[in-house]
Order: sequence, then structure tokens, then C-alpha cells
Amino acid sequence: MNDENTVIDAQVAKVNTPAGDDIILDFRNVTKTFPGVVALRDVSLQIKRGEIHGICGENGAGKSTLMKILSGVYPWGTYEGQVFIEGQELRLESSSIRQAIEAGIAIVYQELTLVPGITVGENIFLGKEPLERGVINWDKLYADTQRLLEEYKLDIHPQALVKNLGVGKMQMTEIAKALSENARILILDEPTSALAEAEIEKLMEILRTLKEHGVTCIYISHKLNEFFAITDTITVLRDGRVITTQPTRNLTVEKLVSYMVGREMTERFPESHRQPGEVVLEVEDLHAVDPEEPSREVLKGVSFNLRKGEVLGIAGLMGSGRTELAMTLFGEYGKITRGTVKLEGRPISPKSSRDAMMHGLSLVPEDRKRHGLVLIQSILRNISLPNLDRFATWYKIDDNAELKASRTFAQSLAIKAPHLNVQCNTLSGGNQQKVVISKWLMSNPKVLIMDDPTRGIDVGAKYEIYKLINDLTAQGIAIIMISSDLEEVLGMSNRVMVMHAGRSAGTLDITEATQERVMALATGIA
Amino acid sequence: MNTTSNNVSVQGVIANLAKQFRANIQTYAIIVAMIFIWILFAIATGGRYLSAQNVSNLIRQMTVTSFLAVGMVLVIVTGGIDLSVGKVAGFVSVIVAQFQANIWNKILPGQELLTTILSVVVGLGIGTLVGAIQGYIISYLAVPSFIVTLGAQWAFNGGILIVTQGKTIPANQPLFSWIGQGYLKPIAGWVVALGVIVLLFYTMFNSRQKKRRYGFELSPLYMDVLKTALYSVLILVYVVVVNSFNGVSIPVLLLAISAVVMAYVSNNTRFGRYAYAIGGNREAARLSGVNIKKNVFSIFVVMGLLCGVSGVVLASYIGYGTVAAGQGYELDAIASCILGGTSTLGGEGTVFGAMVGALIMASLTNGLQILNVPSSWQYVVKGIVLILAVYTDVYFKKNR
Repeated sequence: MNDENTVIDAQVAKVNTPAGDDIILDFRNVTKTFPGVVALRDVSLQIKRGEIHGICGENGAGKSTLMKILSGVYPWGTYEGQVFIEGQELRLESSSIRQAIEAGIAIVYQELTLVPGITVGENIFLGKEPLERGVINWDKLYADTQRLLEEYKLDIHPQALVKNLGVGKMQMTEIAKALSENARILILDEPTSALAEAEIEKLMEILRTLKEHGVTCIYISHKLNEFFAITDTITVLRDGRVITTQPTRNLTVEKLVSYMVGREMTERFPESHRQPGEVVLEVEDLHAVDPEEPSREVLKGVSFNLRKGEVLGIAGLMGSGRTELAMTLFGEYGKITRGTVKLEGRPISPKSSRDAMMHGLSLVPEDRKRHGLVLIQSILRNISLPNLDRFATWYKIDDNAELKASRTFAQSLAIKAPHLNVQCNTLSGGNQQKVVISKWLMSNPKVLIMDDPTRGIDVGAKYEIYKLINDLTAQGIAIIMISSDLEEVLGMSNRVMVMHAGRSAGTLDITEATQERVMALATGIA
Repeated sequence: MNTTSNNVSVQGVIANLAKQFRANIQTYAIIVAMIFIWILFAIATGGRYLSAQNVSNLIRQMTVTSFLAVGMVLVIVTGGIDLSVGKVAGFVSVIVAQFQANIWNKILPGQELLTTILSVVVGLGIGTLVGAIQGYIISYLAVPSFIVTLGAQWAFNGGILIVTQGKTIPANQPLFSWIGQGYLKPIAGWVVALGVIVLLFYTMFNSRQKKRRYGFELSPLYMDVLKTALYSVLILVYVVVVNSFNGVSIPVLLLAISAVVMAYVSNNTRFGRYAYAIGGNREAARLSGVNIKKNVFSIFVVMGLLCGVSGVVLASYIGYGTVAAGQGYELDAIASCILGGTSTLGGEGTVFGAMVGALIMASLTNGLQILNVPSSWQYVVKGIVLILAVYTDVYFKKNR
């Protein structure tokens, strides 16, 4: 073993004294191996009662493996080492979520796990409904829900249908559900990846309330600034090892990033020398309605133009119409009622994604698992899917040409996989996103719309995507980049268009754009 | 470039075979299960099960429902289901029988070749038309396939009763009967078999040649030769066995052609690729420019065409149009697909697998019949085997 390890071992030895009363969760020398891979290497980690403990690391660093040990996905006996909860060893049987809950552990996953068609109260008490002579006592159920929600200051109506809630409130429901199980340890796995700025703020408040109530939180995220806003302690994992555990106040973003990637990362965004050319896309006073519900106007006047080889950032809160704009331009959602879209001076009105592709538009969608990929298919099949026309004679697909072209893109985007027949659901988030980008680049777009292209992917992979964006603009592709991450918008764009309530609230040149000005426009106060 | 093929070692061969096996474990598992069933029945029947006559019969018996299974794979792959196929095939069979028995002799007397061809055209036409109507309602009017095809099942059950008036319609004219009951002469069987084998080797070498031109790494030559040789041996064994009885059966030949065409279509055409993408993730397929409505519609048209083929063969095979025509065939077809590894969630499944699944079902039925197991117990056994097979698959997937 090398020097670095000896240092870490020494640190571990120091904290690995018999657990004091204030230690609620204690991993001792946990090692988890899969055939050919060591996912966790002698991990020792202690979580203090009542603290908010951030765990960060790149994808594949071992965060989810660690959580899967807590939830019983990897039961006791399939890993080496021990896990103690309040001094008691945790011995979960295979996939026993029930047992994990009884041990006081609750996990709020990245993907929400509520039943959409029933109410908040029913969801919270699902599987443990209060009974009276064998029949559900609805009054008690809703009264208890009300009490729970009030206690933790969660602003949701107990009888609201979950499917009518926004993502933020669904998450609150999920947290309330965990609390109703008397969870002592609440694990939040990338809770903010789907939330807008204002909702994140709300979540932070809730976490502070929970802390006052003595609930211990483990907070996993890719958004580093959140760690500094909320956590008391941060543990960094890398390649299955604990690199460091430190009080948050001793850390800085730069230090944290360097722990995560193992090198000093001076720049979050790669340098670019873009020289925007002539205008490719002009959108003027675009109005569109929800095709399912024609009375609901989703775009209420959006105007902007886009130049060859530039990145136009689009910022805005959830529900500001960002994604609706992307989908409408791509011909797949809004019904245009007014306004024009001109591509290279000619008016177009895409009726379907195929239509949009023919005009030279491509869309990397917001939700890559739902909209971007056929997860059960191979990388090859995914990359070629929108591009089969070019490989087909009137009936037959030339599979050699297909493989060759797909390989070229997979290589130039550095997709990490042994071969292209690997199923996409085994890839990391960053690699999945590269597959989505590959498939759209192959269609040779003039305008590439990217809706939250770095959502849920790790710092290293983000950097690669940024570099890729710069390469594409150098080739003359015009890029629209929608993002929830303000720093990303400001770091990558030539100009920033801010949306508010279905309108373009303003377009700022990057030299005049600041976080404050963007937020002011986005919230409608400017 | 292909150094591996230059130094063939025993360990290398075994390692490659093992790799091949692991990559297609599902397919091979089901083939192993089938061989196991054969051995079991061969022992139980004292060898009678594997006699030339029985093998010939067994494979011929599976053809009518297997046409339906060939089409059903793509329907299930796109995430749909077709419960009407049995009754549609039955409906086609009674219509064709009606033409054979009561119509052609009035309008085209003495024209046997022409009327047989017309019967086939009418049968395929009706099947395709029914498929198109159902496909239109399912894709363009957005009514779930389960509902549409359930309704169609009832409607065509009624149609069968209307056409037959509850009576049996004879369709036993010699030329027409040849479609479902005929055999190739032994020499013709050999010619077809050799032709296919030459084609297999040609395709293999041709594909290697093309890959080399693109500069791709090739799998070792002996692996490809071994694989092609294995298929060739299977074809030869089949022809040897059936030639010692009656010869290659016409419906089996028709089934082989349908299956090969559909397997090709599902892998090598946009239509097939889109079907798998739609079943794997409908939204992603839509955003990738796939015209989902058109594709789903086309799949039901193809399904209808295959119902037509199945119906014509059915009428010819049993020589009658009957009230019970096609009863329960849809479930056999669906079971064959599922046994062959088609996922009910969509996105996964192969025609080849469905054919192996159909062969397993036929092998079971036939074996139980030889053992004189009452038909009531045959159903019980088949039901248990289906559930057991899918459970095994689930178990292995979970514990991989």
C-alpha cells in the first residue's frame, strides 16, 4: 500500500475508538467486493447523532454501495466488516426494507417512490394504516398526517393527490413518510437533482427543522455548494475509500473538489474561445399551449436569437417554461398559437421530432432515463436509433456502417465501456449522458438543445461534457443549454436568456450576467 | 488482425464456447430444457417418442400455432398483446373452407390450381385486412390492444358461427390439402436442405468479408464455422429423419420461411429496430423520431397476415372449417413467446426463441398424448411447465 493509505489509516485509527454515546451510526472496516471490482475498501465512518453528514464523491466512488448496505440490498454477510447503529450491530436479511425501517433507517431516493394516484396521507401510512375493527380509520389517518406535517412545518395538504403535487412537495411527502416510521437516520440521495432553486431553499429549511428535532441526516449530492449550506460534517469517498471526514467549516469548494478527484481542479469550467457567427435560429414572440389542455398557455411570448458557434444559456425556475420551450421547438409538445421560429432565415414549424431533425434540430432531453435512452438496449442501438435512415437502403440496415459510425462517436466522446454491446442501464450517469449526446450528434444538427445536460452526473464527467460543448461550438454548432445550475449557466454561456412564467424575461450578455441579476429576472422582481 | 484463429488451442475453443454460452444463457437454457424433455419422454415411451414418424408429426403439429407465435413476438415486444389471433385464424379457415366447398365450384368449376391460389389469396387478404382494422383502432384511435383484441376475439367467434351455421364445411380438395398435409419428395427435401446449407455458409463468409473490409475485429473463424456447421447438421438430421418417413412437410417448410423472414426483419430493418425501441422505452423512441403509430399499425398488419397464413394452413391441415377452429390458439402462441424469452414488459424477445418455445409446447403435448395422459391432465402439466419455466428465468436473472 502507498503512503496515502497509511495517512488515511492513521486517521481512521484515531476515530475508531469505542463508540461514544453521540455516535449513532458506525461503519467499521467495511469492505464490499464484486467479481473483479472492490466497491468499498475498508471503509470506517462514524455519523454523530443529530448532525447533517454530507457524503460526496464522483459516481462510482462507493456512495450508493454504502447506502445499499444500510437498506439491505446487500444484506449482512455479503460484505466484510461491521455496521453498528447505536452500538447494536446491523444484521439485515436480504432486501428487507422492513428491517431497515425498524432499525430506524429511512432513505429518500433520487427517484421518488410514491403512489401517484392516492393522497398524501394514504401514502404516508401505506402499509401501516390505523385500523379500527379491521377497517381503516380515515379520520385518525388524516389527523395523524396533519399533526406530522405541522410538527415538521411541511406545507402540504394531507388529502391532496400526490400526482397533483410538484416534485418539491412530493419529496416533502417522502420525507414525512420516513419520519412517520420514527426514522432516526434519514438518508437523502441526491434530493435536489430535480428541484428548482426555490424548492432547494425550502428543503434546506426542512432539514434544519429536522435537525432541531434531533433527526440525523446523511446527505448525498453532486451539488457541492449545498454541502456548505447545510452540512456539519463532510466525508469524501473516492474509489471505494474514505479519503477524509472533516467538519464543513474547515473545507472549501476547491479543497472538496480536489479530495474528490484526487487532483487540484483550479477551473470548474474549461476555457473557451468562441467566435459566434451569423444568426441560425430566430424565435419571435412564441406562444404555445398544452396540446392536452388547449386552454393552458405554457409559452406566453418567448423571443431570442441564436448564433452559429455560441452557447445560449437558458435559466429559470421550475415551471418557468424552459423544458416546454425545448420540447415545443423540437415539435413534440406545445401547439404553437402565435409567433415565428426561423431557421437560417426560413420559417419552420416542426410537427414531430422527426420533422425537427430534418430541419437540423436536436434535443438532449432533461430526463435521460425516461426520454433519452432505451435503457435495456445496447449503446450501439441507442446511438443509431434516430439515425437509422442513413444506414438503410429501402429495407435493410447496413450493420457494419452502423457500427463504424457509432464507434467513431463513442470514441470521440470517450464513452467508457468495453464494447458497444453493453446495455445502457449498466453505465454511469455521465456515460449515459454521453450516449444520448452521441446519438444526437450523429444526426448532424445545426442547433443542439441541451436540457439540463449535467443533471445527476459527477464533477469529472461534468467537466468532460463542458469540454465537449466547447468542441461542438468550435465546429459551428449552435447550442441552447438549459440548466438549473446557475453557476453552470454563467460559466458556459455566451449569453443568458432568463425565463419567467412562460416569457423570456430578459437576455443578458455574459459580461453583464451575475447570479443576482439572473435570479432577479427569474423570480420576476426585475 | 485475427491472430486468435491462427493458433487454435483446445482451451481457447472451450473458453470461446463458454463465453458464447454465457452471452446467450437464456436461449441455451431453454434449448437444454427442451433436450431434457425429449430425453425424458424417449425413456418413458421406450424410444417411440423419437421415432421418425413421431418427430415428423410433432414438428408438423406445432406449425399452425407457430405462425401465430412468429407474429406475436413483435406484438409483445412493442408492449402490446393480441388475444384475437386464434379466432381470426379460425375465421380465415372457415371462410377459405366455405370458398373451397361452396363457391369456387359454382363460379370457377374445374379450375383447381386457380381456385387454390385464390383461396390462399382470400385467406391472406382477410387476415391482413383484419390486422389493419385492429391496428388502426389500437394505434391511431389509441384503444389498448388488450381491449381491442379481446373484443375482436368475441366478434370473430361470432363470425365463425355465422359462416359455418354451426356445421362442418369440407375443404379436402387434393391440391388445397397439399398446403397443410403435403410432403416434399425425398430428393426435393435434399435439394432444399443443401441449398439452405450452401446459403448459410455463403452468408457467413460474406459477412466476415464485409466486416474485414470495415476493419472490424472478427470472431475466430472456427467459431463461425462451428456455429454454421451446427445449424447445417440440425437441418440434415431433420431431413434424414423425416425422409425415412414421409419427407419434409409443406407446413413446416412454410413455417421455417416465415420465421426466417420475420427474424431477419426484426433485426435488420428499421421496422424491426423501431419495434424493439418502442417496447424498450416508448418516450425515448418517440423523441428519437420514431413514428410510433405507423409502426404499431404495421405490426398488427403483419400479425394479421400471419393469422391469414395460419388460417389457410389450418383449413387445409384438418380438411374442414369447423366451429371450434382456432379455439385457444392465441394462448399457445403467447405461451410460446414467453417460454422463448419474450418479456411481457416489452422490448425483449426473439423469433428464434419463440420457435423453441413452440417446440417445447408441442413436445410436451405430443409426449403426453403418446403416454395416453388424459387431455385434462395435459392442460395441468402444460400450465405448470409454463409457470415453472418463467420462474426459473426470474430466479436466474435475480441471482446472476
